[in-house]
Amino acid sequence: MPEGSAEVDLAAGTAELHAENICAVFDAFTVANSLSADRPLGFVSGRIDSVDIKWSGVTKSFMGVHDATNHFLGNFSEIGKVTIAVTATTPKITGHGFRFVSDPATTTVNYALIGSERNGVFFS
Amino acid sequence: MNDQDLILWKKLQQKWLSRRSLIRGAAGTAAGAGLLLGSGLRSSVQADDDNCKALSRPIPHITAPPGGHFFFPGPPDGSASSTFPHFPNAGFDPSTITDFKGVIAQADLNFSGTGTDLNTGDSTAYMFHTDWRFFKGTFVGVDGLPHAGTLTFI
Repeated sequence: MPEGSAEVDLAAGTAELHAENICAVFDAFTVANSLSADRPLGFVSGRIDSVDIKWSGVTKSFMGVHDATNHFLGNFSEIGKVTIAVTATTPKITGHGFRFVSDPATTTVNYALIGSERNGVFFS
Repeated sequence: MNDQDLILWKKLQQKWLSRRSLIRGAAGTAAGAGLLLGSGLRSSVQADDDNCKALSRPIPHITAPPGGHFFFPGPPDGSASSTFPHFPNAGFDPSTITDFKGVIAQADLNFSGTGTDLNTGDSTAYMFHTDWRFFKGTFVGVDGLPHAGTLTFI
């Protein structure tokens, strides 16, 4: 991602992501198609035209997490409010031709967090 | 398919796999990777190759099914109960890359919007579900060298 496209402010409990023209989305259609390695619905050459995600509102903090089994440590905050504005397109040249434009006001959060962490060789 | 075609195809598959969930761009470059099929594909991919040689390593944990190096979203201290969705493969490390230090953000969301058939112009309401994450900081790539940047998991 370009520099400045993603920011986390741990003190304020906020984060933002902005990106445009992500053209490597090939596993679209359904969640099952995305997760299944054999892509039962096939590959598709889609793109995310733009996306803006904003995190805010800390609901719970996890300070000093130290997981020796999974080799990561850090400080994390669960987030209660997230909005996403995204436009994605499967161009007509793929044989499909579809565009989705989200309504940010409809965003509901299943789970969200921000944090700082170290894992792998940085776990110590 | 001759040997050269086979090698190119395998390289393309590797690109798909490596970009299944992680798209990285160096600072100052266009976002994302070009993988659109068409006349512009080769130049986009080449441009991406020039800027995205540093590939990250996945975390060791594998969630099966579906068989991927990630935990589903959940409390990082592993406090998810047996009633929590995707338990016991939920929570813990929210990062999908290892040998990483930096900041992260994760959002598992449901939302709706308008889908339009570009062939007919017909529109209707659609629901959408995403697990979107980003990781910003330093990571040791598969080349064994430290790299600074921002990666995203879609």
